[in-house]
Amino acid sequence: MRLADVEFERTERAVVARVTGEVDLSNAASIGAAMVDSMPNDEHRLILDLSSVEYLDSAGIQLIYQLRERLHARGQTMALVIPSSSPSHDALRLAGLSQHVEMAETVEQARGSD
Amino acid sequence: MASAPPDVVASTRTQTLYGLGDPVLSELGLNEFLDELLTRVREALSADTVAILLLDRESNELVARAAKGIEEEVEQGVRIPIGQGFAGRIANERVAIFIADVDHADIHNPLLREKGIRSLLGVPLIVEGDLIGVLHVGSLTPRVFTSRDVAVLQFAAARAGPGIERARLFSALEREHRVAMLLQRSLLPRRLIEVVGVAAAARYLPASDEVGGDWYDVFELPHGEVGVAIGDVVGHGVRAAALMGQLRTALHAYAVSERSPARTLERLDRFVQGMGEFAMATCAYAVFDPESSELRIASAGHLPPLIVGNGEARLVGIAPAAPLGAFMYGSVADHEMALAEGETLVFYTDGLIERRGVPLSESMQTLRALLGTAESGEEVCRLAFERLVPAQGLRDDVAMVTIENLVVPHTLELRMPAEPRALTDVRRSMRRWLRSQGADAQTIADVTLAVSEACANAIEHAYSPAPAEFELRVSRQDGTVTATVGDVGRWREPRGEHRGRGLTIIGTVMDEVDVSSGGEGTEVVMRRRIG
Repeated sequence: MRLADVEFERTERAVVARVTGEVDLSNAASIGAAMVDSMPNDEHRLILDLSSVEYLDSAGIQLIYQLRERLHARGQTMALVIPSSSPSHDALRLAGLSQHVEMAETVEQARGSD
Repeated sequence: MASAPPDVVASTRTQTLYGLGDPVLSELGLNEFLDELLTRVREALSADTVAILLLDRESNELVARAAKGIEEEVEQGVRIPIGQGFAGRIANERVAIFIADVDHADIHNPLLREKGIRSLLGVPLIVEGDLIGVLHVGSLTPRVFTSRDVAVLQFAAARAGPGIERARLFSALEREHRVAMLLQRSLLPRRLIEVVGVAAAARYLPASDEVGGDWYDVFELPHGEVGVAIGDVVGHGVRAAALMGQLRTALHAYAVSERSPARTLERLDRFVQGMGEFAMATCAYAVFDPESSELRIASAGHLPPLIVGNGEARLVGIAPAAPLGAFMYGSVADHEMALAEGETLVFYTDGLIERRGVPLSESMQTLRALLGTAESGEEVCRLAFERLVPAQGLRDDVAMVTIENLVVPHTLELRMPAEPRALTDVRRSMRRWLRSQGADAQTIADVTLAVSEACANAIEHAYSPAPAEFELRVSRQDGTVTATVGDVGRWREPRGEHRGRGLTIIGTVMDEVDVSSGGEGTEVVMRRRIG
């Protein structure tokens, strides 16, 4: 059974990647690779929707930082969607991620702030 | 032809040919029967070679089926068109043919010459007016087969013909039985699941004469839940076995994307209706969550499951919906309950309890009484099969599958391979253990996160060339949970900008963290009050 799944949705203004399940040391690297693959150079923005992620730890946080760096180098932006009620919100808050990465409560909000 | 000429009866050598009419012989199976036939014929006629070719009705050819002295004929799969050569002419004209000098005769099969056969005698095999094959004998030295030899061979053919037909029919049925059995076996799960907190056990036994459509399945679902299913396809044989394979696959596919067992069965019902041929099956399906002990069951016409534990077995009172494929737009309901720690859910098919002349309700009481003392799912299966399933002459197939909610120990002790995939099991074990200790949702999330981080660190340091392991021990004293993670590697100093975040997280969510490194390895001890 796969620990996590990723679904991509291409819209006019952004690629939305919706992750479900658990993200840890065992799958963070391959999820990161899938994200990079889904972002060709002509796309401008990645919205990483983590609202259905049930578990996320430091390996996941590292993935987010690395992803941000790679996209930034290509002139692409990234936003995270994490409702404050989601289980992985705590881990991200504990890691002080909000100071470095754009965060939104909903996908709609992340789209609007482009 | 069936009555023996007087001069044949007189010969003791031909006595053995009489026995070829014995119906018992044809139960040997075709190969053994033909082997017996050829041995006796060769002896009776003192022939060097003997072969039997049977008619393949589809191609209208004779196919070498058994031989002695010219085994190559069978090995090479020699096929002779009706009407051609020696055997082909015998079949076509339905007469005995004697060839005194093979070298100067019309022979279709070059093998006969290559083997040095000089003379041949063959007769047709005819059963109730139908030609079924050709039986022939050969001699490596020139030989004149006498009319007495012809009579002996014809006598053998006449005695053996019906036996061959019976054996052929018998092996066709047997083959179907074997195919169905093989199909059934290959469609049942080869290994049961390995999910934290759950033990699964299962048994299957086909009926002695026919394979039915009983099946079971146990699989892991997303989020660490376990799906368990049992079903019974109406009908027998290869078709039922094939249908059960389709149902099992379809159920598993629907189950992955559909959390409700009732909705899963409804989709399976539509699947059966869409098959366009009459098919009906009963099925029960349950989803168990080992983290919350929650059990959801739905049934489409299947017998009620049992829950065994605490010295008793009780029937689960769920109202089954109609069998799959029975009605258009049938609807199925979910039944929610708890499968407490130490309890076992038992699914079975009717073959386990249906006995001629015994009311079903009585059989179910017998089953309840029998299983009440069982202390595990494995013991449930063992008891049921030992006591209720006859060793021989089983009239219907029997399938049984159980899942057991294992008791959570007071102290959690795990020894795991130092591989990232072990982390999932660590978290599942932690959540189950913390819940059994009465921790609230936030505490469960925090402590699970901290322990998983510490284990991830242990996995990352594992550098030993041998397969490495790490250990986790979690216990509670008064209101404090202590978790210890030990490995054989050296604690790695945080490297790079984002390393060491795990340790920060552990420090934030736990009340106390202590890391000690020694020659043996590294140990992380974490404490948190849970009230």
